[in-house]
Amino acid sequence: MNGRDQQRISSLMQYSARLEEGVLCLLLTAMIVLACLQILLRSFFSSGLLWADPLIRYMVLWSGLLGASMATSRGNHIALDLAGYLIPERFQPLVQLVCYIFSAITSGFLVWASILFIRSEIEYGSPGLFQLPTWSWNSIFPLAFGLITLRYIMLAVTQVIAILHHETPAKNINR
Amino acid sequence: MNIIKLTTFLLALLGAPLFLVISALALLAFASVDIDLSVVIIEMSRLADTPLLVSLPLFIFAGTLLSESHAPERILMLSRIFLGWMPGGLAVVSLAVCAIFTAFTGASGVTIFALGGLLLPALLKDGYNERFSMGLITSSGSLGLLFPPSLPLILYGVVSETRIDHLFLAGILPGLLMLLLLMGYSIKQGPAVREKQHKHSTQEAITALRKAAWELPLPVIILGGIYGGFFVAGEAAAVTCLYVLIVEVFIYRDVSFSELPRIMSKSMMLFGGILVILAASMASTNYLIDQEIPMRIFEFIRSYIDSKYTFLLLLNVFLLIVGAMLDIFSALVLVVPLILPIATGYGVDPIHLGIIFLTNLQIGYCTPPVGLNLFLASYRFEKPIVELYRSTLPFLGLLIVTLLVITYFPWLSQVLIKLFG
Repeated sequence: MNGRDQQRISSLMQYSARLEEGVLCLLLTAMIVLACLQILLRSFFSSGLLWADPLIRYMVLWSGLLGASMATSRGNHIALDLAGYLIPERFQPLVQLVCYIFSAITSGFLVWASILFIRSEIEYGSPGLFQLPTWSWNSIFPLAFGLITLRYIMLAVTQVIAILHHETPAKNINR
Repeated sequence: MNIIKLTTFLLALLGAPLFLVISALALLAFASVDIDLSVVIIEMSRLADTPLLVSLPLFIFAGTLLSESHAPERILMLSRIFLGWMPGGLAVVSLAVCAIFTAFTGASGVTIFALGGLLLPALLKDGYNERFSMGLITSSGSLGLLFPPSLPLILYGVVSETRIDHLFLAGILPGLLMLLLLMGYSIKQGPAVREKQHKHSTQEAITALRKAAWELPLPVIILGGIYGGFFVAGEAAAVTCLYVLIVEVFIYRDVSFSELPRIMSKSMMLFGGILVILAASMASTNYLIDQEIPMRIFEFIRSYIDSKYTFLLLLNVFLLIVGAMLDIFSALVLVVPLILPIATGYGVDPIHLGIIFLTNLQIGYCTPPVGLNLFLASYRFEKPIVELYRSTLPFLGLLIVTLLVITYFPWLSQVLIKLFG
């Protein structure tokens, strides 16, 4: 991978991060508005939107998975992290790299599992909310896990480069 | 296969994200019994059928927004005026404010960071000794977990499929007991000679009340709304969100409009982190249930222990260790599905079990050697962690006394449900 490729990829990643942030804000706002609207409609007009509750539930799923994908690039995932106490500082970049590689492989398998899932949904699925097929509502799984995998691959590559250049990588990179 | 599983465990200890560790174990487990891997995602997609889940992102957002505003200062000011005259005044104030703040922000360590910096200097200035003050703040960093609308309570409700409005009620008395016990200790430990208290005038009291006037009704809105029958627990989150948003952005203007996207995506990242762990554990739990693992553990334990009370004692010890190792969200999501069927086998009420769980995990937060609060406080106050071990010890003792009371008097967590539920 040469420098320009790397630059192009990282600007692409930044673009996707901005997009994700926008989508997340939209989803959250929509959830608040829809849920409040439901209460209003019920209390004052004793009615409600039939589609609102299932839609909110899908939005929760979408916002959570996208949020998780964003958390990946910021290194914000919940982890035990005893490495800081157990491993001498010299080896920490290596341990970090191993963790990134493991994460990339596992999330890669999750993408594969999602694709299997979506494929069977396309084949046997029924129309869901708004007459859209259920697989389209669940398409967030391959999408989010795909993004997570990409990010871990990027993190691993950056880590390798950093180790080769003898910089002080570990924590600073994923902030 | 077993070597891969072992490596995965090792990586978990070395800091690989927990949701991937759990997913990897689930994938491996299903692969080893030749079940199609898509089952992992099928289980995850069941999250879209959980109506209560929506309250998590919404309460997280409301809590983050509150902690980014000046609400902590306002509440602190107000409580100082109204509670500060008591013996042990400031310590009592600290405990109360931390409890309220944690209930709204969900014990992710925000309390120690947001309030610790304000409270520690104030406590020292009032003549409390350093060890006591640090112990107080460290242990109150997770105080208030049992009060509604704390996130761990909601998460327990989601995972165990129990009623959240009942859980909210169940937590109140045990939470108060804990608070009162700590307050009593603080009053006893207060400085013998107190600096002449600055008398607060009525004028000051009114100003402080006015300043916090918009935040004070929040608990009433949430509890009144739920128990007055205006909305269900899930919707209470939306109302809280809207209310906090309007109050902090448009009325107090503590948070500017342009900061909202950052705060929103920050809270969604927090939620995402919890959601993927929840999703991964849906898959691994399905495997455990499928293989009847909880039942087997139950059979095994029952051959040694047949009293419910011995079981509860053992459970407490186990959960204290879990609470000290894992953060509260992963601990709940991973351990509840395993323990719930076992506890039900011993005739423990799921709501009561929830309160026991949270109390243990809360105590785990300040249990040496690896309790999270200890690290946060050591980082925040720049003190060696060993010093914090010593200063939290008396508080830890008191918390364990409450734990025993809560465990062996289920009445405490059930009486309010009988009255209002």
